[in-house]
Amino acid sequence: MADVVLDEVYKIYDNGFEAVSGLSLDVPDGEFLVLVGPSGCGKSTALRMVAGLEDITKGELRIGGNRMNEVPSRDRDIAMVFQSYALYPHMTVRDNISFGLRLRRMAKEEIAKRVHKSSTTLGLSELLERKPGMLSGGQRQRVAMGRAIVRDPQVFLMDEPLSNLDAKLRVQMRSDIQALQQELGVTTIYVTHDQIEAMTMGDRVAVMRKGVLLQVDKPQTLYDDPDNLFVAGFIGSPPMNLVQGEIGEGSGGSLVVRLGEQSLVIDDALVAQRPAIRSYVGRSVAIGIRSEDLTQPGHHHDDAPADRRLRSTALLTEALGSEIVVHFEVPAPPVETDDTRELRADAGAGDAIGALELQGTKFVASFSPRSTVRPGDAIEVAVDTRRLYLFDLETGAAIRA
Amino acid sequence: MSAAAADLPVTRTAASTAPVAVTRRRRPGSALGSMWWRHVIGVLALVFALFPVWFVLIAAFSKDGTLSSQTLVPESLSTKQYKELVDNYPFWRWFLNSLGISLVTAFFTVLLAAMAAYAFSRLRFRGRRSGLMTLLLIQMFPASLAFVAIYIMVQQLDSTYPALGVGSVIVLVLFYLGGALGSNAWLIKGFFDTIPRDLDESAQIDGATHNQIFWQIILPLAAPVLAIIFLLSFIASQAEFLIASVIMFGEDTSSPKLTVAVGLRGLLAGDRYDLRWGPFAVGAVLASVPVVLLFQFLQRYIVSGITAGAVKG
Repeated sequence: MADVVLDEVYKIYDNGFEAVSGLSLDVPDGEFLVLVGPSGCGKSTALRMVAGLEDITKGELRIGGNRMNEVPSRDRDIAMVFQSYALYPHMTVRDNISFGLRLRRMAKEEIAKRVHKSSTTLGLSELLERKPGMLSGGQRQRVAMGRAIVRDPQVFLMDEPLSNLDAKLRVQMRSDIQALQQELGVTTIYVTHDQIEAMTMGDRVAVMRKGVLLQVDKPQTLYDDPDNLFVAGFIGSPPMNLVQGEIGEGSGGSLVVRLGEQSLVIDDALVAQRPAIRSYVGRSVAIGIRSEDLTQPGHHHDDAPADRRLRSTALLTEALGSEIVVHFEVPAPPVETDDTRELRADAGAGDAIGALELQGTKFVASFSPRSTVRPGDAIEVAVDTRRLYLFDLETGAAIRA
Repeated sequence: MSAAAADLPVTRTAASTAPVAVTRRRRPGSALGSMWWRHVIGVLALVFALFPVWFVLIAAFSKDGTLSSQTLVPESLSTKQYKELVDNYPFWRWFLNSLGISLVTAFFTVLLAAMAAYAFSRLRFRGRRSGLMTLLLIQMFPASLAFVAIYIMVQQLDSTYPALGVGSVIVLVLFYLGGALGSNAWLIKGFFDTIPRDLDESAQIDGATHNQIFWQIILPLAAPVLAIIFLLSFIASQAEFLIASVIMFGEDTSSPKLTVAVGLRGLLAGDRYDLRWGPFAVGAVLASVPVVLLFQFLQRYIVSGITAGAVKG
């Protein structure tokens, strides 16, 4: 067991491309840390540097307190699970699992004992004499896990281990891996581009973008209090609604957000919590609202007064059973920064946002399943303005103190 | 090997389902309707390919053993030509020479080419690209360009290191190894490139060195291409005549040092062409036996390699 520390680690390629810039991470012993970010953000490179598959250009990597930069992979006492599983096709499952032990010239009985134990844990006992080619995707994934745990390493490294599985299996393996990690208590660094995986699995989640670490924290903190626009838009499903608005002074000294001709009163509690908002009066900011904070008046006990409502037309409704997702338009320009463009590209939407010929910005609200709203209906949406997110348009940073 | 055994069921099911599919599709009566000309072409190609083999076989078992008296249908079969070959010439020595040279050449060709291919495929070093290009470029020149150089080299080596001089088997193997290494390294590199690097990296983390990765991961996975290279290299050195004749220059047909190709060529030298046609044919038939046997043996690996690649998910 050991902690993993990355201290100002850089990866700069010969052509000058900086894949990882000054990454500092401290993963305590036994923690499950998830590295998440859109493709090309440097998360896999970071993991491969910990694994010893990539050289570290600058900075220091320590495992269990010892500098590891120049130590070859085999002496780092780590195990890695690859996205492709990387099982040796010419070996049986048993040989695959025991390969690392055999290379270390462990005694035959000890190998047999360990293989037995790990294959029982993973439910692979029946498959030990098969070749990887005869296994299903889920089984191969478990063999890859088996190969990692049989070594009893100090650190597990996992590079998108679930992305080749179908959706149902992925959900199941997600909890299996989590349970296994908790049982073994081995420090784990897990790379994924799927923020749901990150949220559900990680003790802590590190969000990366373009080689830079944006925020590391507990999943709930990332969700509730994102440091910047990118984290806000990346974490959460459906993604946070983002729109440009202007901060203004309302009647009675409270602040308001102007979205086109509509305006919302910002709850005093929020302003007290984030006094810096006052300094933005008269300026445009990026405003984020989570879909669960957009509800239908009349369906909840604490109904928002009229100055905390948006009026619009329902464009589309999706009944999910537990809720009805309502798409509507807000009469204000969308947030256009590098962050939001990258988020859109990551969601696969590209620049197709104009497909609906919107003047304003599309919002998604989470209505009660009892709602009778149909597309085309005029709607009022109650906004929980205690839970508005405000970001500086230039820097993308959250407006706080 | 176990790899072949595991893939056997796949091949077997494929073979057993094929006739079912064919009988279902083929309607009665139409079997020879529109397809007959394909069979004609097939039969013609077969005759074309098998005629020389038949011709030599007849000569090998004929009584007279001259080219002028050769018939297309044997009147009688005899072992007279075989006796004449082994009584008058050290044929079995030639045969063993050739077999030994071919096996050693094939083995080392596979080994050296695979090692070179591993380096070119997996390691990044200075001169990698130019090295690959140089190998390719050298292959462009036919071996016959080097004859004079080889001859002079062998003559001079003879006076310094007689073991490496005229008629030396070691020198012959060395020339064979150098000759085909480039193209074989390219072929194997192409195959290595299709083996995912994830496997190397996974083995690396499991604790394997480059050496262990090469022997335990890459080589077993490349077995099909290695079998092909072994086979091609064996056939090439078994049939090779030109370089062997340069190195064995000056030896006559009574010498036990010759290879089969050079020795048999000696039988046909000068005006004895017609006379020794029979013994020559026997020698040719016998010399082809190792190649046929080796092909039969390695075919399994080649075919199993192809099916394994196709089935693997």
